[in-house]
Amino acid sequence: MKNSVYLKILFLVLSGILGILGGIEFVELRNYKETVVVSEDFTEMIMLSEYLPSLKGTWGDTPIYIYDSGVPGGSMLILGGTHPYEPITTVAAYVVMENIKVESGKVYVIPHANMSASTLGMLGNAYPKYFSVETPWGSQKYRIGDRGTNPLDQWPDPYTYIHYPSGQNLAYQDIRNLNRTFPGRANGTLTERISFAIMELIRNEDIDIFFDYHEASLMYPVVSTYVAHDDAMDIGMMAAMMLSATQFPMKIEASPKNLKGLTHREVGDFSDALALLMETPEPFIDRVAGRMTEELMVDGIDEFVQTAAEKGLVYCDYDIKEGFTDPLGNVIIGAPLDYRVGRHLSGTLEAVNWMNMFFPEKALVVSFPGYAEVMENGTGYYLHDPSKADPSRVFKN
Amino acid sequence: MLVFFDTIIYYLYFIMTAFFAFLLLRNLFKREKRKALVYDIVYSYVIITFILRVIGIK
Repeated sequence: MKNSVYLKILFLVLSGILGILGGIEFVELRNYKETVVVSEDFTEMIMLSEYLPSLKGTWGDTPIYIYDSGVPGGSMLILGGTHPYEPITTVAAYVVMENIKVESGKVYVIPHANMSASTLGMLGNAYPKYFSVETPWGSQKYRIGDRGTNPLDQWPDPYTYIHYPSGQNLAYQDIRNLNRTFPGRANGTLTERISFAIMELIRNEDIDIFFDYHEASLMYPVVSTYVAHDDAMDIGMMAAMMLSATQFPMKIEASPKNLKGLTHREVGDFSDALALLMETPEPFIDRVAGRMTEELMVDGIDEFVQTAAEKGLVYCDYDIKEGFTDPLGNVIIGAPLDYRVGRHLSGTLEAVNWMNMFFPEKALVVSFPGYAEVMENGTGYYLHDPSKADPSRVFKN
Repeated sequence: MLVFFDTIIYYLYFIMTAFFAFLLLRNLFKREKRKALVYDIVYSYVIITFILRVIGIK
């Protein structure tokens, strides 16, 4: 009898050790901070809770970086990290933040739109916690988050998620998916409140053009694509044509009118902004991909996705053997980080360019490195060394 | 008001989790059925997930 009790205690202790070892991983990821050095055109940083005070002190609150030229012009909002398991979206936002010059107009960047989700990895899917970008001065480490808000911050999920205000029934877990909760509501769940606060920012600051950066599995038809709200269709189509002819293949899809909760639909419907969502290819999140490693996140090379590509099952160019050649003459092997970051950067610049042509009264004159520069020099070249930067320009996210 | 009820439900789930963690712990030491060693291991292992949630780690 006594031995039996000792054995139970022993099992409990062993389980406790396993729990502590696993728990350390989660605590580390939850508290790890990424570093960004903002460009000289940076004006101020405010928190999203400025637009909805009930977010203050929650993991839904997130920094907004503002670049105000002081010269009248258009305004732009960029969201990175709406789905933090698509982390190149945040890196692309950081490259914008570190290098942007604004000659006229105003730019807002939220690199971690869903901060809570960015602190929850997908360790249960054997995802690594971090990945690194090599730079001339060392490597920069970034989190790989989850798709939805951390259940530690929003729990439980309902049996059916009823979208507000449409009343459409969606999958239960989408109640924690920031790209299913727009336009949100001030008295809703944490994720709905994040959406609402972003909508308030868009409406109060008269945002002219809105970008939501995403990554997609290659077997998802909307990969390598702009998804444009009706109002942004003209500029999206022109930008996609120009990019495909001169830089990289880019498709365009119309935002479906009955697909509720998505940014490209609801931001367009509930504000005056021209709403665009962009998808880059991320083999890491393809269901057929092999080992989930940091290399796969950075290089995008996977033999199983390659097999799918050879069988015609993917919706974008993909070749890990000989690569494919873009219109600039770069040979792209797999779907490397630089390729994906560059796509978002030039995707943004090209659409802004067409907005300026179609709507001269909204002209926004901005510059930051594009696809060609990132493909030539690498993403790390455009990330600055925090130890040598003016401390007032170094931020932790 | 919705945020208030949402918050109440959120904390109720944590309380429920603590309750089930307590039941698992009690059954590890005092149970009438399934007394084999393997069940001790299963009880000890399963309890981790409940404790990690109660203390806000996972």
